[in-house]
Amino acid sequence: MGNETLLEDRRDFIFVKQEGCSGKGLRCDSNSVSGSVSQRACVYCGARVVLNPITDAVHIVHGPIGCASYTWDIRGSLSSGSDLYRNSFSTDLQEKDVIFGGEKRLEAALEEVIEKKHPRLIFVYATCIVGVIGDDVEAVCKRMAAKHKLRIIPVQSPGFSGNKATGYKLACDAIMELIAPHKAKKQLKQPGLNILGDFNLAGELWMVKNYLKQMEIPVIAGITGDSSYDTLLQAPVATLNVVQCAGSSTYLAKRMEEELGIPYIKVSFYGMEDTMNSLLRIAEELNNAEARKRAMFLVDRETRKLEEFLKVYRPRLKGKKAAIYVGGGFKAISLIRQFRSLGMETVLVGTQTGKKEEYEIITELVDETAVVLDDANPAELERFIKEKGAHILVGGVKERPLAYKLGLAFCDHNHERKHPLCGFDGVVNFTKEIDQSINHPVWSYLKEADL
Amino acid sequence: MRGTLVNLTVNPCKMCMPMGAATALYGIKKCMSILHGSQGCSTYIRRHMATHYNEPVDIASSSLTEEGTVYGGERNLMQGLINLIKVYHPEVIGVATTCLAETIGEDVQRIISNFYEIYPEYRQVTIIPIASPGYSGTQYEGYMEALYQIVKAVPMNTVRHQKVNVVTGQLSPADTRYLKTILDSFGLDYILLPDLSENLDGGYEPEYQKLPAGGTDIREIGKMAGARMTIELSTFAGETKSVGRYLQETYGVPCQVLNLPVGLRDSDRLLKFLKALTGREIPAAIRKERARYLDAMVDSHKYFGEVRAAIYGETDFAYSMVRLCTENGIFPVLTATGSKGDRLKELIREELQGVSDILNIRETIILDEVDFQTIEARAREAKVNLMIGNSDGRRIAGKLGIPLIRRGFPIHDHVGGQRLRILGYEGSLSILDEIANCMIDRKESSFRDELYARYYKKLQADISMQATSVKPAESRTDDRTQSHPCFNCKAHKYARMHLPIAPRCNISCNYCLRKYDCPNESRPGVTTQILKPQEALQKFLEARKKVPYLTVVGIAGPGDALANFPETRKTLELIRKEDQDITFCLSTNGLMLPHYAEDLISLGVSHVTVTMNVVDPSIGAKIYGYVDYMGVRYEGEAGAAILLTNQMAGLKLLTSRGIVCKVNIVMLKGINDSHIPEVVHKCKELGVTMTNIMPLIPVKGSVFEQLEPVGEDELLAMRKACGNTLKQMYHCRQCRADALGTLGQESFSIAVASRSGIMVDQHFGHVTEFYIYQYHNGDIQLKETRQVEKYCDGSLECEEKEDRIGRIIHSIADCNAVIALRIGEAPREKLKAKGIQVFTDCDGIEAALHKAASKLRIKAENHMAK
Repeated sequence: MGNETLLEDRRDFIFVKQEGCSGKGLRCDSNSVSGSVSQRACVYCGARVVLNPITDAVHIVHGPIGCASYTWDIRGSLSSGSDLYRNSFSTDLQEKDVIFGGEKRLEAALEEVIEKKHPRLIFVYATCIVGVIGDDVEAVCKRMAAKHKLRIIPVQSPGFSGNKATGYKLACDAIMELIAPHKAKKQLKQPGLNILGDFNLAGELWMVKNYLKQMEIPVIAGITGDSSYDTLLQAPVATLNVVQCAGSSTYLAKRMEEELGIPYIKVSFYGMEDTMNSLLRIAEELNNAEARKRAMFLVDRETRKLEEFLKVYRPRLKGKKAAIYVGGGFKAISLIRQFRSLGMETVLVGTQTGKKEEYEIITELVDETAVVLDDANPAELERFIKEKGAHILVGGVKERPLAYKLGLAFCDHNHERKHPLCGFDGVVNFTKEIDQSINHPVWSYLKEADL
Repeated sequence: MRGTLVNLTVNPCKMCMPMGAATALYGIKKCMSILHGSQGCSTYIRRHMATHYNEPVDIASSSLTEEGTVYGGERNLMQGLINLIKVYHPEVIGVATTCLAETIGEDVQRIISNFYEIYPEYRQVTIIPIASPGYSGTQYEGYMEALYQIVKAVPMNTVRHQKVNVVTGQLSPADTRYLKTILDSFGLDYILLPDLSENLDGGYEPEYQKLPAGGTDIREIGKMAGARMTIELSTFAGETKSVGRYLQETYGVPCQVLNLPVGLRDSDRLLKFLKALTGREIPAAIRKERARYLDAMVDSHKYFGEVRAAIYGETDFAYSMVRLCTENGIFPVLTATGSKGDRLKELIREELQGVSDILNIRETIILDEVDFQTIEARAREAKVNLMIGNSDGRRIAGKLGIPLIRRGFPIHDHVGGQRLRILGYEGSLSILDEIANCMIDRKESSFRDELYARYYKKLQADISMQATSVKPAESRTDDRTQSHPCFNCKAHKYARMHLPIAPRCNISCNYCLRKYDCPNESRPGVTTQILKPQEALQKFLEARKKVPYLTVVGIAGPGDALANFPETRKTLELIRKEDQDITFCLSTNGLMLPHYAEDLISLGVSHVTVTMNVVDPSIGAKIYGYVDYMGVRYEGEAGAAILLTNQMAGLKLLTSRGIVCKVNIVMLKGINDSHIPEVVHKCKELGVTMTNIMPLIPVKGSVFEQLEPVGEDELLAMRKACGNTLKQMYHCRQCRADALGTLGQESFSIAVASRSGIMVDQHFGHVTEFYIYQYHNGDIQLKETRQVEKYCDGSLECEEKEDRIGRIIHSIADCNAVIALRIGEAPREKLKAKGIQVFTDCDGIEAALHKAASKLRIKAENHMAK
C-alpha cells in the first residue's frame, strides 16, 4: 500500500503519535475535503439526530424526498409514549415546487398534518434546496403556529450550510426556542436534573434514570431521549443539567446555563469507570452526600458482579488491538478506556466531529504508536488498520463492511443498535460483542482464503 | 401524492434519483461515483446501500459548502475529482448531481470539459455527467438515467458484431449472476449493462480492492452501438430513459423489450426467445429447473388460496410479482409503487382480467406515487395477510401481525439482501416456497389454540398453577465472600450490620455474663436493645440508605441466633424480600446447628461463624457451665461433649453445602491456649475457611472475671502458628451485636487534575483548577474545586509571574497527594520536597483516588512501622 491513499489536503487531519509529541497539531472541526469519501453526514442529519427522539412531535422534512426517505425510523431511540416520531413526514418537493417555491406546499402540509394528527409540536427541517429557492420557512411556521395555537419550530438545516456539528447547534437552538418561554421562576426550582445528549438508544436513558432513581435523584427531562412536548417544557425547573453526548449537547447546556441559570456537568455512561464516576459526580454536584453513598452502594454492587463477569473475558481479549471510528470525541475517549479495562490497546482512533480538546486527551490516552484521524475516509481507515494490525474496528454501519472485507472483527457503536452499550449492562453487552466477534472461528479460516 | 394525506408524504415508498444513479454506476468496471452536492447525500446513500449489500460502499461527495452554493461548486467538484482519481485510480467516474447542484444551476458538462482542459493528464479517465435531481423522480428514474447517460457519453464504435446487448433494471447481484448463467448456457456472446454481480456482492479476498474490479467494462459499452440487438429486461424502462430505444434510434440496433424473467410465463418467454436467437436447444439443466418449479407449484397450490397479498416496490418488480402470484392462484389484493405508474395500472388490470374468474377475484387496489402510510391504511382495509416487498414494509407487517416476504431494495433488517432472488424458475421457486411456508406456519402456530378455544375451553375451567423456585445459595457465595468485611480483610470498605434480634442463649460460657451481650461476637457494655423482626427490617432499610457499601446483614446475638430461631427466620425472610443481593451471615455457638443447617441454607445464609473453643470435652468442661439441649440441662463433660459433637456435625453439614464457615476461638490463658492448634486442625478437616483466634475480654461478674487475658504478642504468635494450618483473621474488631459500619480508619486530602471532573485527564502543568477530594475510610467526598490563580495569596511563589508551576504547587500545599495525567520531572521533585505524593493516572477519578489512597496507606503503615 503506497502513500497515494493519503491526500495532501488530508495530511493535517492525521496524526501519528510519537514519544514526546502532544496532539495539538491535529486539524479538526473543518469542512470535509471534496472527493475524499468522508464518513460524515450533513447539517440536517445533525439536527435530526438531536431532535428526533422527541416522541410526540411531528418532524417534517421540507424538501425533495431523499432526505426523508433515508432518515425514516433509522434510529434506535425508544419511546415510553407516542410513536409519532418514528414516521417520516416530507413535503416531497417536485420540479414545479423548485421553480415556483415550496411555501404553499409547506403550508398545506402543515394544515393537513395538524388536522389529522393533532400534534402540539412540529419541527420543520429546511433541507438543501429550500435554502436556495428562498422559501420563507420561518414566516410560514410562525403564521401557522399562530393560527392553530401550537408550536412550530423551523430548523434551517440545508446540508451545505456547515457539517453535522452545525446541525447539532441548530437543534440546540430549536430546543431553546421551545423551552425558553417557560423559564422557571427561581422559587419554583426543585432538586432534579435534565439529562442532555442521551437519545434513549436501546433504552439507555431509562437505564441511567434507574440508577438515578436508586440514588433518589429525580430526572425532570431527557433532552431529548424519550421526551415529549410536556416533559421538555418542564426542563427549565431543573437544578442541574448533565450532558452525556458532549458533541451534540454542550452548546445547549451552555445556553441553558446562561439563559435559564442551570449549571451543567459533562458525564459519560459508557464503561464501568465512566458510569461510576459520572454517578458520583452528579451526587457531588448536587451536594448530596446521601445520594453519593447510595451511588457508591449501587456502583459497588454492580461492579462486583461485573468483575466476576470480566474475569472470564479479560484473558480472552488481553493484548488485542482495537481501532475506533465513531462520531464524537467524547465517545471515542470512553471507548479507549473501555478497551483498556479489558486489557486491549487502541491503535487507531478517528472521529467525524471530534473537538480539539478531545483530540488532546485522545492522543494522551492511546498507545505510543497509535494513529489519530479526524474525518477519516475508507482509504485511510483501510491503510492504517492494516498498518497497525488492528483486530477489531468499532464504528457505524458504513464502516462495518469495510472491516469485514479486511478480515477484522467489528463492534456496532451507532444509533441503530438494538442493545444498550451504556451503564453496567452495557459493559456486559459490549464485552460480549467484542468477544463474540474477535474470538470467532471465522477469522482462522480467512487465513486460508485461497485454496 | 394521492395518499391518505394529500400534501404530505408519510413514510416514503421511494428513494431519490442519485440513489439509483449510484447503484447503476456500481455495475461499471473500475468506476467511482461522486455526488455533486452537500456531504449528507453521499453519506445517507452509502448507509442505505451498505446496510442492504453488506459491502463497503464508497461514494464521494463534492462536499458543497455555503460558499460553493453561492458562487458555484466548480472548484469543489474539480478538487473532488482530483482527489478521487488520486486515491482510487478509477477508469470511469460518474458525476451524479443532487437537488442542490441542479437548483443552483451547475453545468456539470462544462465543468468536466474545463477539468480535462486544465488537467490533460486525467483525460484517460472517462467522466460521465448524470443529471439526477432528487425532485425529478425516484431511484428507478435515477438508475435508468445513469445507464442512458453512460451509453450516451461513452464514445461508440459502430462496427457491427455478433454480441447482444442485455440491459436490466436494478437486480440483486445473485439474480444478475443467475441471468449470466442462463445467457452463457445458450453460448450467447453478450454485453450486460450494468453488471452488479460482483461489485455489490464480493467475496472475501486476501487483498481487499477498494476500486470495484467487476462490472461492465467501458470498452464493451463502447461496442453496444454495433451489437446485433438489445434485449431490455424491463417492462417500464420505456417510460423513462431507455437505453434500448436510444441505441435503436441512434444506431439502428434493434431492441426487444421483455418482462423480467420471473414466474413461469416470463421465464419461458426469455428462454424461448434465446432459443430462437441462438438456434440452440434450451439446456437440459434449465428444463429440469422448470420441471421442478412446475412440480413445486402443484405441491404448494393448496396453500395459496387463502393468501391476500400486498405487493409494493419498483414498477418492474411489482408487475413481476403480480404475474407470479396470479400464476399460482395468489390474490394480489393490493399493488403499490412509489413511482408514477399509469402503465403499471393498465398492465395489472389486463393481467387480472384474464384470471379473475378462475381466482374468483372481485376487486384489487393499485396505487402509484404512494407512501407507506397509505399502503398501511389500504392493506388494513383489504385484509391483507401477507406482504411482498422490501424491508420498509416490516413496520406494517409488524403492526398487522402478518408475514413479509423480503425481496427488492432495500433489505435493512435481514442479512443477505444482495442474494435474494426472484429471476428464473429458481428465483420464483424461492418466493413460492416462502409464501407457502408462511401460510403453513400460520396454520401450524394457531390451529391448536384456535380449535381449543372454540370447542374445548367452554367445557373446562382454567386451572393455573404457580410454582415458586428457591435460588440456590451457593451460586454467589464466592462473590459474597469478596465483599464480606469479616471474611475478607481486603473488603474493609464494605459495611456489615448486626441485627440484635436474638436475646436468649442455650449454653453458659464462663467468660460471659448473660446480663450483657454475648462476648463471642459482642463487646460487653451497654445492654443491646432487642428488636422484633419487623423492627429489624425497618432498621435495615434505614441503614441501607445511609451506609455506603452495606453488603452484609448478620445476626450475632446478643444471645444465640439459633436459640431464637423463629425470630432469626422471620427477620431474614423479611429482609430477603426487600433485598435480593444482601449477604446473610450468622454467628452461633453451634449447639442447634445440625437442626437448623438446612433451614439456614434455604433462607440464603451464606456465611456462618461458630464459636468453638475446644475439641476435647474435658477441656470444654472448664469453659462451659451448662448446655441446655432438648429440654435437658447437661453440665460438665457431658454438656461439653454434646456441644462439641453438634458443632462439628453442623460445620460439616454447612461446608459440604458450600456455606463459608469461620470458627471463633476465645484464647483462654492456661485453659485452652495450648489446645488451640488442635482445634484449628479439626476446623481444617471440617472444611472451615478460616479461624479467628480472639483474646478474652474479662467481664466483671463472670466466672473468668479474674482470668488474665493473653497479651498481644501471644495472640499474634498463636495466629501465626495456626496460619500454617488455616487462614487466620487478623482484623477482627469483636463487634457488638448491633454493630454497623466498616472496620478500618484512614483519611487523606487529594488534589486531582481534571478538566471533565470525571476523568484524570489533565497535565499537571496545564491545570487551572483542581478538584480537591477528601478520602476517608474508603469514602470519597469532593470538597471543592480550587482555582489555581485565585489561590495566590501574594506569597513569594505567586509573585514570580512566569512560575506557573510554582503557583500550581502552592495551591495544593495542604494536600497529601496530587493525581494528574502527566507531570514533568521538576514539579514532581518540588512536590516530593513538600511531602506531596504524586500519582499519574488516566483513569476515572474514583478509581484513581482509590489507587492513590491505597498507596498512601501503605506508605503510612511503613512509616509507622519504622
